[in-house]
Amino acid sequence: MTAAIARPGTRTLAPRVFARRAFANEAGKGLWLVWRRRAITITGLVVNGFFFLMIQFLIGGGHLVLPVLALTLPGLFAYVVASTAALQGAGGIAEEVTAGTLEQAHLSPAPPFLLALGRLAAIAVEGLIPALVLVLAFGLGYGPHWVIRPDALVPLALVIVDGLAYGLVMTALVLRVPPIGAIVHVFNMAIGFFGGMFVPITIFPHGVEIVARFLPTAVGTEVLNTALAGRGLGAAWADGTLPWLLVHVVMLAALGWGTFLYTVHWARREGGLSPK
Amino acid sequence: MADSQQGNDVNGGRAPGGRPAIELSGLTKRYRRGNGWLTAVDGVTLTVPHGQVIGLLGPNGAGKTTTIKMACGLIVPTAGTIRLNGYDVGRRRADAVRQIGAVLEGSRNVYWPLTAWQNLMYFGRLKGLRAGEIEPRARQLLTDLGLWERRDETVGSYSRGMQQKVAIAAALITDPPILLLDEPTIGLDVEAARTVKDWIARLAADEGKTIVLTTHQLAIVQELAGRIAVIRDGTIIADLPTGELLSEFAEDRFEVRVKGLLHGFAGALPAGARAEADAGTTRVTLRDADQGRLHEFLDDLRAAGVPLLSVTQAQPDLEEIFLRLIGTQTPAPQPGDAAAVRIGGTS
Repeated sequence: MTAAIARPGTRTLAPRVFARRAFANEAGKGLWLVWRRRAITITGLVVNGFFFLMIQFLIGGGHLVLPVLALTLPGLFAYVVASTAALQGAGGIAEEVTAGTLEQAHLSPAPPFLLALGRLAAIAVEGLIPALVLVLAFGLGYGPHWVIRPDALVPLALVIVDGLAYGLVMTALVLRVPPIGAIVHVFNMAIGFFGGMFVPITIFPHGVEIVARFLPTAVGTEVLNTALAGRGLGAAWADGTLPWLLVHVVMLAALGWGTFLYTVHWARREGGLSPK
Repeated sequence: MADSQQGNDVNGGRAPGGRPAIELSGLTKRYRRGNGWLTAVDGVTLTVPHGQVIGLLGPNGAGKTTTIKMACGLIVPTAGTIRLNGYDVGRRRADAVRQIGAVLEGSRNVYWPLTAWQNLMYFGRLKGLRAGEIEPRARQLLTDLGLWERRDETVGSYSRGMQQKVAIAAALITDPPILLLDEPTIGLDVEAARTVKDWIARLAADEGKTIVLTTHQLAIVQELAGRIAVIRDGTIIADLPTGELLSEFAEDRFEVRVKGLLHGFAGALPAGARAEADAGTTRVTLRDADQGRLHEFLDDLRAAGVPLLSVTQAQPDLEEIFLRLIGTQTPAPQPGDAAAVRIGGTS
C-alpha cells in the first residue's frame, strides 16, 4: 500500500498502522476461535501425549528409556506445532470457505497476506501451547538429560517456523485442492513417523534418513537434539544439519508463500473463495 | 417508499464525489470448463446513482451473484471495469472495498462460534476502524435489531433470522455508503424476512444508502426498489425504474371473485381468461378485456346464479412480469385463444 487508507467520514490511517491493526485483528479473531474450540485442543493434547507414551513403552519393551525420550521429545514438540498448523490452518480455511466468512474477510482493504499472517499467528499459539505443555509434562515428569542453553533457542525458533511454513502450504492448498484434509492427514502421519517423534531419524536406514530430512520438522529436531545434548550450534553447523535446516526453513516458507499467493489469485479468478 | 422517489432517476444521481455510486462497464466473466468456456456474465453495464435501491433479478445461474461478487472485488472479471464511488476495484481495491458492505448469498457471512459483539468488533476492525469508533455503532445496531440483550451469546445459538440480522449488522458496522445484498431474506421465516425488509427500507429512506438487492422474493423488490434490472444468461435484458417497468407491462385486466368453485356454472370462461380456486372462492382473471366483455361475463354469472364477491381492476405484478421477461411464461393469452381455462376444471 502506498497511500493512506481513506474511509468516508473518518480520519485516515497510515498504512503501517492499518497493517499492524489488521494483523492484530486477524490474530485476535483467531485466538477467539481457538478458545471456542479448546475442547478439541485439549483432546488432541491428551491423545498425542498418550500415543507418544505408548510408543515409548513399546520401543523400550515395556520400559521408558530415558535417552530415547530425551531424543524424541523435541520431535513431539515439533510434530504438535506442525500438525496443528496444518490441520487447523487447512480446516479453518475450509470451514470459512463453506461459511462464507472467507469472502467477508477478503472484503477488507488489508492485503490477503496480512490476514494470512494473522491467522498463522493464532494457529502458532494453538500449536505451541499443547506442545509446551507436553514437553513440560514429560520433561519435568521424567527428567531427560538436556543441556539447556540459550543457543538452543535458534533451532527451536527454526523448528517452529518450519512447522508453520508447512501449515501455510497446506492451508494455501485448500483453495485449490478442496479434499486437502486427507492429504494433510497423510503428511501429518509421515511427519509423526519420520520426523523424529518416535525414534531419532539417524536410526533409520540411510535411504529413509535422506527422505526424512526433506520432511518438515525432521532436521529441526536433529539440530535441537544436538543443541540440547550440549554440543552447541557449531557442531550442528559442522555436520551440515544446521545449514540444511536453514535451507529447509527458507524453502518451505517460500513454497508456502508462493502457494498462498497463487491459490488466492486462482480463487479470485475462479470464484474459489466460496463453495462452488 | 422514499427510495422509490429518489431512485427513479436512473442516470442522473451522483455520489458526493461527483461520480455515481456504482459503475459497471462491460463487465464480463468467463470460466474455463473442460475444453470450452462458460460465460457467466456477458458485457454487463450498469450505473447506479447515489441513494438508489436497485433490484437485480434473474433466474438461478443468470449471473447475479457473479456480478455482485465482481463488484465486491471477490471475483476478478475477465473484462470490464467496476467503480465504487469513483474508486476502480481493480486499481484501488482498498479504497473501493471501504465503500461497501455486503451480505452474500447462501452463506453465514459471520462467525457462528463468536458472539454477535465479537463479530461486529472483528468486522469493524477489518476495515480499519478503532474500537472506540466501532462500539457505539455496534451498540446501536444490536439494539435496533433487538439483539443487544443477547450480544454475548454465540451466533451459532441464534435463530436463523437473528443470524441474518447479525450478518446485516456486520455489513453495516462501518456505515458504508453502498450495500450489496444478495438474497438477504433467503431461508427466513415471514416475520424475520419482514424485519430485514423493513431495515432495508429504512437504510434507503433514512440513511440514503445505495443498495443493490437480489432476491427471489419479488414482492420485496417491488416494494423496495426504485429500479429493476433483469439479468438472463449473463446479460441485462431489462433495466427500468420500477414504475416504468410495471407500466410497460400494464394491460386492461379485471379480476372477478365469486363464491364457490363454480361447479354449477355451465358456461365457459371468455377467451383468454384464467380461473384459480382459492379458499372457497374462485378468482377469474380477464386479460385484455374491455368493459363490454366484462359486462357480458358478469351477465353470464348472474344468469347462472353464481354469487359475486368482487370485481377489481388489476395489473400484472412483478413476478408475472419477471417470468415473462425471462421467457418461462407464455405471453398473455389473446382473445380467442384456445388456452382459456374452463370453469369447473380449475379447483
